[in-house]
Amino acid sequence: MDVEEIKQNWLNREFDVAEFPITQERILAYVHACGETDPRFSDPEHPEFQAPPTFTAQYVGRRILPRDFPMLGFRGFDAGKTVVLHGPARPGDMLFGHSTIADAYEKTGRSGRMVFLVHRMEFVNQKEERVSTVDWRMVRQPDAEPEKSQK
Amino acid sequence: MILDLHTHSIKSDDGRARVETYCTWIRKRGLQIDGFVLTEHRQFDDESDYSELAREFGLRILKGSEVETDYGHVLVFGVNDRMRAAFDFASIDLPLGLVLEEAERCGGVAVPCHPGRPTVGMCAHYAERGAVPGVHVIETRNGGSRNGEDAAALALAEEFGYRGIGGSDAHLVSQIGRCATRFEEEIRNEDDLIRALCSGKFEAITWT
Repeated sequence: MDVEEIKQNWLNREFDVAEFPITQERILAYVHACGETDPRFSDPEHPEFQAPPTFTAQYVGRRILPRDFPMLGFRGFDAGKTVVLHGPARPGDMLFGHSTIADAYEKTGRSGRMVFLVHRMEFVNQKEERVSTVDWRMVRQPDAEPEKSQK
Repeated sequence: MILDLHTHSIKSDDGRARVETYCTWIRKRGLQIDGFVLTEHRQFDDESDYSELAREFGLRILKGSEVETDYGHVLVFGVNDRMRAAFDFASIDLPLGLVLEEAERCGGVAVPCHPGRPTVGMCAHYAERGAVPGVHVIETRNGGSRNGEDAAALALAEEFGYRGIGGSDAHLVSQIGRCATRFEEEIRNEDDLIRALCSGKFEAITWT
């Protein structure tokens, strides 16, 4: 299956919605893991206490790819995430993560042909206000040999 | 005049540098380059206007592209509407011969880049399938090259009598200006760049 077929069959079609309750504990655990020190994110007593901008990048839905999505080879790797923040997430909010494949494109590199899949999660809160957009780039290498199992 | 002929900004999917930050970096670090050419991957960025930035920082900011062919990646300079209609910049398997021929027909120049790099460089493909007519200039100095890759490019240039250019292949701000091209003439715009590349009066330089 080539990229044009992927675009035609899978692009911008929502394939998953997952719920994520936001708690003070979860925010503080994330902030601690990141080493964040801004009191807006680390001090629950701060009047503007909220999750830090990249908070929603930790979430994945119930499915990473749509059902029956082609494998595109045996090898791949994570090419990182970008987060666009639209509004705050605060303790007590319920976020809904809507998943789509937002883009698919090919490029070539030292390791050969690569297909980039952009997995997008649009997060909205219980008031249907946009909170963030997280784009996760996944690379598949359709022409690469399967990795040998290590003993 | 010294220009870095191979750079990527955030317009490329893997570029992490803003053009303004490149300019600031060049001036703050006192880099010995007079400007750079943005060669975004598989596209020509005709939306962005950097003329104000160029004036503010006293730098030349020109635009080209890096396309992908069956013989590896190729920089194209002097991109215009005719060239964009002649081949699909987004394709990853353009025939190199077509890119060379159409670039020239449309008044531009195509330059195979990082030829010593596995898979996306010309050397390995030459070894397998032979030389392609129409190549006059290749990138012999690339800031992203690993051990032996530039040496392979220089050897290829020597063997086939190609002229060599240099470019950093910067994707991050700190990478700009690692390699560049010194021209005898002043380059004010893309037309001057094409004339200079056709004249052969330039050399690849590196500070790495």
